[in-house]
Amino acid sequence: MNTKLIQLSIFSLFIFFTSCTNDDDAVTVTPVSLETKTVTNLYAPQTGGQGQPTAGAFTKFSFSENQIVASDNWDIAFRGTTLIVNGGEAIGLTDEPTRTGDGAVSKVVGTFNTVTTIPDAASFAQDGSGTYAFAEPWYDYNGTTHIITPKAGTIYVVKTHDGKYAKFEILSYYQDAPANPDMTSVSRYYTFKFVYQPNNTTHF
Amino acid sequence: MKKRIFFMLFFYSIYVTYSQEKVTDSLQSKALEEVIVTATRTERSLSSLPLPSAIITADAISKAGVTRLSDIIAEQTGLITIPDFGGAEGIQMQGLDAAYTLILLDGVPLIGRSAGTLDLSRISVGNISSIEIVKGASSSLYGSDALAGVINIITKKPKEDVFSGTGTYRYATFETQDANLDFVWKKKAFSGSVFTNYFATDGYDLNEATPEKTVEAYQNVTIQPKFYYDFSKRLQLVLGTRFYHQEQDYKATIDSERYKGLSKIMEWDTQIKVSQKWNASIDSEYELYATNYKTDEFLNDSQGFAFENSFYNQWVFRPEIRTTFSFPKSKITTGLGLNHETLDRTYFASEVVFNSQYVYLQYDYNPSKKWNILTGFRLDNHNQYQSQWSPKIAANYKLNTHLSLKSSIGYGYKAPDFRQLYFDFTNSAIGYAVFGYNVAEERLNALDNQGQVLFRTNGIDFSSELKPESSVNLNLGSFYEKHNFKWDTNVFYNAISNLIDTKVIAQKTNGQNVFSYFNIDEIFTYGFENNFHYSFHSNLKFSLGYQYLIAKDKTVLQELDSGTVFARDANTLESFQLKKTDYFGLFNRSKHTANFKVLYTISKLKTTFNLRVFYRSKYGIVDSNNNQILDQYDVFVKDYFLTNLSITKTFNQKMSVQIGSNNLFNFKNPDQISAISGRQLFARIQFNL
Repeated sequence: MNTKLIQLSIFSLFIFFTSCTNDDDAVTVTPVSLETKTVTNLYAPQTGGQGQPTAGAFTKFSFSENQIVASDNWDIAFRGTTLIVNGGEAIGLTDEPTRTGDGAVSKVVGTFNTVTTIPDAASFAQDGSGTYAFAEPWYDYNGTTHIITPKAGTIYVVKTHDGKYAKFEILSYYQDAPANPDMTSVSRYYTFKFVYQPNNTTHF
Repeated sequence: MKKRIFFMLFFYSIYVTYSQEKVTDSLQSKALEEVIVTATRTERSLSSLPLPSAIITADAISKAGVTRLSDIIAEQTGLITIPDFGGAEGIQMQGLDAAYTLILLDGVPLIGRSAGTLDLSRISVGNISSIEIVKGASSSLYGSDALAGVINIITKKPKEDVFSGTGTYRYATFETQDANLDFVWKKKAFSGSVFTNYFATDGYDLNEATPEKTVEAYQNVTIQPKFYYDFSKRLQLVLGTRFYHQEQDYKATIDSERYKGLSKIMEWDTQIKVSQKWNASIDSEYELYATNYKTDEFLNDSQGFAFENSFYNQWVFRPEIRTTFSFPKSKITTGLGLNHETLDRTYFASEVVFNSQYVYLQYDYNPSKKWNILTGFRLDNHNQYQSQWSPKIAANYKLNTHLSLKSSIGYGYKAPDFRQLYFDFTNSAIGYAVFGYNVAEERLNALDNQGQVLFRTNGIDFSSELKPESSVNLNLGSFYEKHNFKWDTNVFYNAISNLIDTKVIAQKTNGQNVFSYFNIDEIFTYGFENNFHYSFHSNLKFSLGYQYLIAKDKTVLQELDSGTVFARDANTLESFQLKKTDYFGLFNRSKHTANFKVLYTISKLKTTFNLRVFYRSKYGIVDSNNNQILDQYDVFVKDYFLTNLSITKTFNQKMSVQIGSNNLFNFKNPDQISAISGRQLFARIQFNL
């Protein structure tokens, strides 16, 4: 009974504080609580691989729209384990989409919730000829089980095509995000969660 | 009856040497006094020794019904056999890897650690008179490798005029055969022993799905003659040699193509020793030791064409002179020697030579009846790495007739091995490369000139020498003995710095890495060990052993402190930060290991039952969540029990029969533990001439 009361009062306090800050647009005040969204089973097929040249259309995603897009207003795109950003030059891949945006990526070490500020501009990278904005693999590959596991503690902060920011963490590479994927799990299905910051602030 | 006389003589010799401190002892306890030579290179009573140590007797080995050294070592408290990648079974001592324990045979080191581990199953226990184990850094006497401790295998030696022979045949599950023939004789000044052993097994298979067995069939032969000649009471000669030959099937499946071959080991060692007694207080020993360890391995494809060939050929020559000065209250032992070592092997550009010279000095002092102080140092000068100075000091304090306290602090080191300095290996299938520290720069430049290097890792520098791994070891223990009860305990701590590990030095254009060896890690281990022995009467004995162990990497603790290590939640799949308490420690370390042993003799039936139960708590072998550390969210090997039982019946002095079972309850963990075969039943018959 007692704990319920405490929980309730904490909850009401929380409501009170969040509603207080809702209208503030000043950067210095406690940031706006943004919604965390989860994308499940984003399919990113590719052809080739295993020694053959990889090809096929990238699956383009927009954070602001929270969906796969066909237009040039994409922020990041997936094909197999390859990730690209809508900013910079063409890497030189087959079937690479055109980049019209000014996107970039910065890798942050931490947990999803602890990444609350947007990193220094210098830490952001764009794709370029022969180089990837997602420079290091976002996953670990087990040579025995052939399982691909997203590296724990790797959070990406993305500058979107139109200069906004989003942070995202890849949770799984397998269909329906099984806790312990095995050789029967179907790959190239991304599950990731993200927070999109529509305002021009330095916080999430 | 004979045994009694032997013990009495034993007691007498100890009494003479240690008359200063032994006067108060009861006759009973002295008659059972155990003597150890490994700890000081002189005969010392075990109870007054200030170092943690243990002795396994021939009787205990025989009653356990085991055949290989690895089997009996694995039954000791705090000693855990760990298989390496090649399947060689090495020993973990005080939480340190197998590479850090020196293995001696009659006082001289065994070699052949192709991947760091010396395979203890190479040694037959058929002619062992005792195994001495000294724990803690012992580099002050033995130099490199004696970082965790020393195991010395002492072979049988005739003590009085005798001609005796023993023949043993043992048959066990997996068509395992072990046959021994051992002759021992002494006639006046000339004595000797000839031991031969034949061992063969069909191996075993834990996974029927693969065409290869878990352990392929193998067989080996040991021939070990040893001769002693006493020129006079003051001058004695020992000449001993040992041959070992093993052949094992070698099979592999690569890209669904079957390959077949053979793996051979040939080992030879010879020891010549002259002991000279100058006078009542000065003894010298001149020793020349030579040994060769050689392996040959090939793999052919189904058409019989050679697919893979490899060899390993190591030689050691080591002359040493030791002199002991005995005074009423002290003993000084000095030694002087040199070591010439060569190795030629596959993946070495050419034969490599190590030369070193060393001296050591030890002072064993009994200032009073209650105190014993043991101190010493060793200096090793080496052509490949910086000179090593290894000091040690230890003290034993006898509180009363039953209880003594002991403490020691020592330095231990392990020289970089040939592989860490000269390896020149490129994986033909995948394309990564591993270069020894001394050849890495040159090989890397060569690759660079061929345009094979994409980029070099920043800050890699080979200008200073690779340092030996070194440790500081502390022990604090006690020894209690009263009536039928014996209890020894020891708390230990080891801090190892400059641990050598591989690091990426460059990336090749094929996307693969180039590795070399560097002094990277700092680790520590600590824990305690307890041994209780209780005899209800001479026919019923119990013992209980337990070790608690923590082994961790300091750099990992720092990373955890700075909050840069993560894992994933099993349900939400989200990353979370790991705390220090989530860190389990180093791989292959169990927090708790224990053993329980019962020895029960029915005198009327001349039958002895020997039951041993072993426990090992959970341990990790893989970083299943890929965060470079072993944490509580990784997949662990579950804890387990193993039970061994043997029953020995003696018919008369001439014959005995033994039956039993190792791993009685058929414990198996095929996915994680390939070294445990499942239940093995055996029967043994022994004839004494």
